[in-house]
Amino acid sequence: MRLAKDKSDAPPEMDMTPMIDVVFQLIIFFMLITDMTQKELEELYLPKAKVAAADKPNPLEIRPIINVLADGTVWVKRELYYDPAKDDKFNRLKEYLARMAKQMPKKPIFPGSPLLVPDNPLLIRADQSTPAKYIQKVMELCGGAGIQIWKVELAAGTETPELPDAGQGGKS
Amino acid sequence: MTMGSAAPQDEIKGDMTPMIDVVFQLMIFFMCTIKFKTLEGKLTAYLPKDVGVNTTPPTAPLEKVDIVVKVLKEGTKLQPLRDDPWDPAVGGPYRYGPDRVLQFQVGSMVTPSAEELYARLKQLHTAQPERAATIDPKFKPFSTTYADLVLALNASVLAGFTDITLKGSSE
Repeated sequence: MRLAKDKSDAPPEMDMTPMIDVVFQLIIFFMLITDMTQKELEELYLPKAKVAAADKPNPLEIRPIINVLADGTVWVKRELYYDPAKDDKFNRLKEYLARMAKQMPKKPIFPGSPLLVPDNPLLIRADQSTPAKYIQKVMELCGGAGIQIWKVELAAGTETPELPDAGQGGKS
Repeated sequence: MTMGSAAPQDEIKGDMTPMIDVVFQLMIFFMCTIKFKTLEGKLTAYLPKDVGVNTTPPTAPLEKVDIVVKVLKEGTKLQPLRDDPWDPAVGGPYRYGPDRVLQFQVGSMVTPSAEELYARLKQLHTAQPERAATIDPKFKPFSTTYADLVLALNASVLAGFTDITLKGSSE
């Protein structure tokens, strides 16, 4: 019996179409789930709080995010705004807060008062071991002339099952 | 003159290799840079409006519940996610171990327990729901941390306080 011989000398070609389809699907998936707003969030070990409300930022709201690391450095949008080792009297951070405060909608400080203050919050994110004095300093700056941001939000993890005991390190 | 007749029409095949290269590069880029959205929470508080450059409110508010937070014993520094000791030579983030001792003071009540703080705040809030609270972290004998601040804020919110002010003066 004579076997049929392949007449073609050309090398066999693979059909790449399904692979390209799958790869494009993967790229679209990664592009969609990559959240560019996360660029403002430094990697920190946040303390956990039982009653922390889920943070669902409104993209249209002007809400400055300040990251304070355990060494006291202050980062905003991945840029160093304050370093305790090169103390610049918080000038850069002050300028940033003043610029943000200027852009925020204003409301009277008390009903009927002619004095207007920014009505949007400031989100402070800090490492669990960040000394509170750095947080206090940021808050002091918020109350300064030309800034007067009075609403603050403290970022926290949300998975504490029970209120921890202070004698147990205050951590969960 | 005879015009050359068209050669038999072959299917034109583009070379897909560069496109596949680029697409793979893109995919590797996205896979390397991807950071899944982390779920974070927030605790809302306020800074004093009635001090400094601002005017006083038209009506005098009720006396605020003042929560003083102190650290009596700093505690051992541990790795953030493990119970191994933290190495200062390596540096990086750390957390305090279970030997850290805090002290909360509300009026005459002094306690190291966040549970007792919560119970006292609950009592006070039930008695006068419109009262506001103030959290005052101290820096002596040891510095309070962000976690201590959040712990006190957590207990206040849990007790029902909605108007919580953070003292904004570093010592």
